[in-house]
Amino acid sequence: MPRIKIISVITLLAIASWQFGEGAYIHLKAQLAQYLLQQSWQLTLHGQRQVKPWPWADTWPVARLQMPERDIDLIVLAGDTGRTLAFGPGHRFGTADIGALGSAMISAHRDTHFAFLRHIGKGDTLTVQTDDGQTHDYRIIHIEIIDSRNARLPSADDRSLLTLVTCYPFDTIVPGGPLRFVIVADKTEVTRSPKVGEII
Amino acid sequence: MSRLTRKHLLDQTIWQESRTRRSRCRRYLRTLGIGFLLVVAILLTTLFLIKPVAAAARGEVDQASEMRMGDVTRGSLLFKTSKTGVFLPAPILKTDVDMRISGMIVRAVVSQEFKNQTNEWLEGIYVFPLPENAAVDHLRMRIGERVIEGKIKERAEAKRIYEQAKRAGKKASLIEQERPNMFTNSVANIGPHETIIVEIEYQQTLRYDQGDFRLRFPLAITPRYIPGKPIQHKERISQFSGTGWAQNTDEVADASRVTPPVHVGEGKVNPVSMHIELDAGFPLQKLKSSYHQINSTHHGTGKKTITLAAGRVPADHDFELVWTPGVGQAPRAALFTEKKQDGLYHFMMVLPPEPAEQAKQSLPREVIYIIDTSGSMAGTSIEQAKRALLMALDRLRPQDRFNVIQFNSYTDQVFANAMMANPQKLSTARNYVNRLQANGGTEMVPALEAALNHTEEGNYVRQIVFLTDGSVGNEARLFDLINNQLRSRRLFTVGIGSAPNSYFMKKAAQHGRGTFTYISDVREVQEKMHALFSKLEAPVMSNLQLEFDDDTDTEVWPKRLPDLYAGEPVVFAVKGGAHTQQLTLRGQRGQEQWRVTVPLLGGQADNGVGAVWARSKIEALMDSLHDGADKNAVRKQVINVALLHHLVSKYTSLVAVDVTPSRPQHESLKSRNVANNLPKGQQHEKIFGQLAHTATPAQMHFIVGMMCLVLLMMIGLSSRGLRRATH
Repeated sequence: MPRIKIISVITLLAIASWQFGEGAYIHLKAQLAQYLLQQSWQLTLHGQRQVKPWPWADTWPVARLQMPERDIDLIVLAGDTGRTLAFGPGHRFGTADIGALGSAMISAHRDTHFAFLRHIGKGDTLTVQTDDGQTHDYRIIHIEIIDSRNARLPSADDRSLLTLVTCYPFDTIVPGGPLRFVIVADKTEVTRSPKVGEII
Repeated sequence: MSRLTRKHLLDQTIWQESRTRRSRCRRYLRTLGIGFLLVVAILLTTLFLIKPVAAAARGEVDQASEMRMGDVTRGSLLFKTSKTGVFLPAPILKTDVDMRISGMIVRAVVSQEFKNQTNEWLEGIYVFPLPENAAVDHLRMRIGERVIEGKIKERAEAKRIYEQAKRAGKKASLIEQERPNMFTNSVANIGPHETIIVEIEYQQTLRYDQGDFRLRFPLAITPRYIPGKPIQHKERISQFSGTGWAQNTDEVADASRVTPPVHVGEGKVNPVSMHIELDAGFPLQKLKSSYHQINSTHHGTGKKTITLAAGRVPADHDFELVWTPGVGQAPRAALFTEKKQDGLYHFMMVLPPEPAEQAKQSLPREVIYIIDTSGSMAGTSIEQAKRALLMALDRLRPQDRFNVIQFNSYTDQVFANAMMANPQKLSTARNYVNRLQANGGTEMVPALEAALNHTEEGNYVRQIVFLTDGSVGNEARLFDLINNQLRSRRLFTVGIGSAPNSYFMKKAAQHGRGTFTYISDVREVQEKMHALFSKLEAPVMSNLQLEFDDDTDTEVWPKRLPDLYAGEPVVFAVKGGAHTQQLTLRGQRGQEQWRVTVPLLGGQADNGVGAVWARSKIEALMDSLHDGADKNAVRKQVINVALLHHLVSKYTSLVAVDVTPSRPQHESLKSRNVANNLPKGQQHEKIFGQLAHTATPAQMHFIVGMMCLVLLMMIGLSSRGLRRATH
């Protein structure tokens, strides 16, 4: 075999395994981190605050987002920097506290944690557990595709909104486009406190 | 055929046979390899890439989701675009600044030209910055050739007069103070294609620090962060509702007034020109403009005319002029006097001698550094802050203790408690600082509390160094916090960025019994930090007392003289003193006593000293609110002195009204906000939020990987085909 062929075969093999490795790493990290986060979430529910899931983390769990019928169970982290979103959905700093009055924004990657958003429709419900152990039910009231270059968070003074944001379209190959898929959910009246002794 | 050839042929056959066997084997392996790679690729791809499709294939999910995509709306009203404001035709603004500097006193005229380029009648509302110690005492509205003088009124009354004139179709201008360094100018009834010029005049004293005189003129407002919960509509008082982008909250009741719209889109707005006549009063060794190119012409000893080299520049970062007296010419004391009808006014500056070199503090220090990593710090500011902080860490000695706190929406600190500054801890802290990113809100209260709550054990000189752009709306709350919890600590502020909140920097340091400095360019980090170190490390001049030989009918402001750090002079304003021959200043620096006697006679005559005195009095009165003074009493006193001296304050405004109505009653009036530039180096999306990047490159990686495998296969197949062809 000519030398040039050997070199190109080795290079291609290297690139292929590197690319697959990178891709797989993103997905593995996204899933593995959620397991680790469950533990910090339990500690948070027991009253600890800003529980870092690993010592060098610069984020911590702030809520748990569930959609049982779709098998969705996610720990939401503080902040929505790229570093944070690799591990879980991120609650944007400066937006309202999750579950509280006002508009809270949670972002996540369209191909990992928030891949399920494409299957969601108006009227669907999701459940959010906040760090005080309370569970809040939300109903999806609005879905919109927006251009992130000139978008603003919906404002809400007198109700509790949850805005879920992910990239759109869901299956473009190159990341970094300006469009966002936005789901707005409004809190339904029911807020449940955990019963004494209930395992959350 | 000889034996030899036969033998040779035989050998060759055997060799050929073994070669075919070997190459068959190799081909086998290669096929296996390719097969293996294919399987891996297919596995990985199905696992991750095709997952949604696979899920869809399993059932009716995809159909349902297709249907449900019909719920999606495009561009509904729920998401307002932040750019809409730009398209509203607001009056076009142009600013000219004219200053006369005499010694330490500045008289400035800021002319704001509002040009209405529309066919409608407009009201322009412009929120603008001024120096934090500006005593605004004149307002003039120019309509063509006519000039209308503004009058000073209590704030509510001024507002009423303005609203009345506005409704009647008369041209009017109203200057209100939102913060000591932030004012609102409302101009009513600017006719179609008409121009109105509003002139605002103020008096200001200069900062003399470490041998330099410094004039800082703010040209931009860093968007203020508004903490707290929004106040419900029903509770909002209509009179207080402003036109800013923020809603009033329980912590910042006037948020909508201090958050002027920011210009987005192409180019910059508000071109500004500067013209400064400087009469320093001594020969100059150096004159420089820190952030703008200037032209300066010389007129004699210490006299210069300064203009911007570019003529006009967009108002998007502060202007600073610094001048240094020639060697041996530095003033040790200065006195400015004005004789008014109601008596004499004096403004005095006395510079104590430098602390002796050996007096440098030997006591170990405990320094808590707070660094602001909020969204408004993103861009050049965070780089300046990080550089400054790293320099400060390098400066610590092994016997010192330290901690680093960062805050944005949340507060985080490197160590739970202050740590000894050993190499290991310092390196931990340096790594932490290097990793800092600016993003999110500016929740200052928890960060300050974290710093103030450090235990006070051991014998240390306790200092807090606070690096921030100070762009918050809840200044008063923070001053209260510092005032109440400072104990033996001293707080030093370092104003970062191209337009830091000077009011916050100065007052936070004053309540924290420290001092302040600014860093607005990464190139000045070294110089400014060294100046700060010399203040942090040298003993402070405290217990300053002022005594008159005869204090009949004298009123001095501030009442309590602040402590002085290396290179800082004592400054105060005196009313009266007709009977005073001389006054004595006493102070204490470490073990060393300082005492100086200066005459209160023969001061340089200056017309603005009365305003300077009144402004110091108002400032001291407003400060007393943080020491628990009665709100109503303070308000009354401030109104009295402000009305007497024609000054704008929190409770008094200037209003100018044209005599005759100009807008026909059938024409309606549109109210428009005049936008400010976003300060240079700042990032709009970091302050007003940008949606997160929510796509991973995973798919791209898989596809690139797949393409490589396909290429590999092609190479494999082609080489096989090639070999078969040659045989």
